[in-house]
Amino acid sequence: MKQPKYLFNAGRMSRKDNTLKFTPVDEAGIEGQPRYLPIEQVGDLYVFGSLDANSALYNFLGQEGIAVHFFNYYEHYTGSFMPREYLLAGKMQVDQTKHYMAAKKRIEIARRFVEGAANNILRVLKYYDNRDKAKDLTEAICLIERLLASVPMAVDVPMLMGIEGNIRQTYYGAFDAIVGQTFCMDGRSKRPPQNELNALISFGNMLCYTACLSTIYHTQLNPTISFLHEPGARRYSLALDLSEVFKPILVDRLIFRMINKRQLQPSDFRSEVGGCVLKDAARKRFVQGFDEQLKETIKHRALGRSVSYRHLVKLECYKLQKHLLGLEEYRPFKAWW
Amino acid sequence: MYVILVYDMGQKRVGKMLKLCRRYMNWIQNSVFEGEMTEVQLRELLHEARRIMDEDEDSLILFKNRDQKWLDKQIIGVERQSTDNFL
Repeated sequence: MKQPKYLFNAGRMSRKDNTLKFTPVDEAGIEGQPRYLPIEQVGDLYVFGSLDANSALYNFLGQEGIAVHFFNYYEHYTGSFMPREYLLAGKMQVDQTKHYMAAKKRIEIARRFVEGAANNILRVLKYYDNRDKAKDLTEAICLIERLLASVPMAVDVPMLMGIEGNIRQTYYGAFDAIVGQTFCMDGRSKRPPQNELNALISFGNMLCYTACLSTIYHTQLNPTISFLHEPGARRYSLALDLSEVFKPILVDRLIFRMINKRQLQPSDFRSEVGGCVLKDAARKRFVQGFDEQLKETIKHRALGRSVSYRHLVKLECYKLQKHLLGLEEYRPFKAWW
Repeated sequence: MYVILVYDMGQKRVGKMLKLCRRYMNWIQNSVFEGEMTEVQLRELLHEARRIMDEDEDSLILFKNRDQKWLDKQIIGVERQSTDNFL
């Protein structure tokens, strides 16, 4: 199976003998032992360190259909190198645009995304509510359930976004009850995140967003035409829509697990001017955890076989495609465990 | 499928074999590669390998495993190259 590669070390990537050669460079500028990455097994490249590369390499990556995602020093997603589209489908594109243009059709899909997200949020909260009787999350759960019930009443997308915002706010408010001893949430803050927990959420959401983007690339959907989020210029907003559904399951669960198992400590963070970021070693640990999470498999009830979390994202794209083509109504992925 | 590939080639062909294997698998030691691959990828690799090899002199040995998790790998001494996804 193709696996994503994560580059933390600074170095030079080059094309060598029809495969990839990575030469790490340390702070003094001394080159280390090169490592060859088997081109046939590389899924995507995630670049966290500084990468030296030339156009010959990008030509090669483009030809092999490998995307490169870049993150800056402050762990923000800065952009991607996307190879030429290879699964072009005019009919799909037309249908996707039609669903965006027709307000009624659009809100229907947008509602599903919010429903999926809210259901997965509830699943996460209920898990922690059942596990530890001392932590009382009933209030947040009730409130989110009420908000979820009002989703079908939303007449337009801004109103739906409002409900979605309230759900998230209530949800983030409950974070303190789950990881309260070591970290405190103190409201959601971003650009830049103000404290440790916010930094983790931002970083994790970004990983989820790029994972969704890569998956969309390997389907016939157009990543720029979205339904819940407003499609802007130069943005892959469909990835934002899709990641809403998976954020609670992929990211938040990982955060709770790593904090509760003390794999992440307050000392793993560094306060910068106006914000908070993860230290290098902890960042690597978190990405490692995320990678393992994506590889984790579950027994899919409809398909009757084991599928990985990464594949669940792909199945979600397929379901959306079927909805857009009018074959089968889209029902969002809801965790049942 | 998880594969461990070992080859022994004549000096003239050993470099070609190394380059070919690098495209599909992770190098772990001189003449030894390992990695996850599909049935089709393995067939591609073997097809190419046969064209490089002199089958009267060289040898190529494959150890196949259904999954990496059934493989108990022990390293004594220095790990020449790790095979993980984090660089």
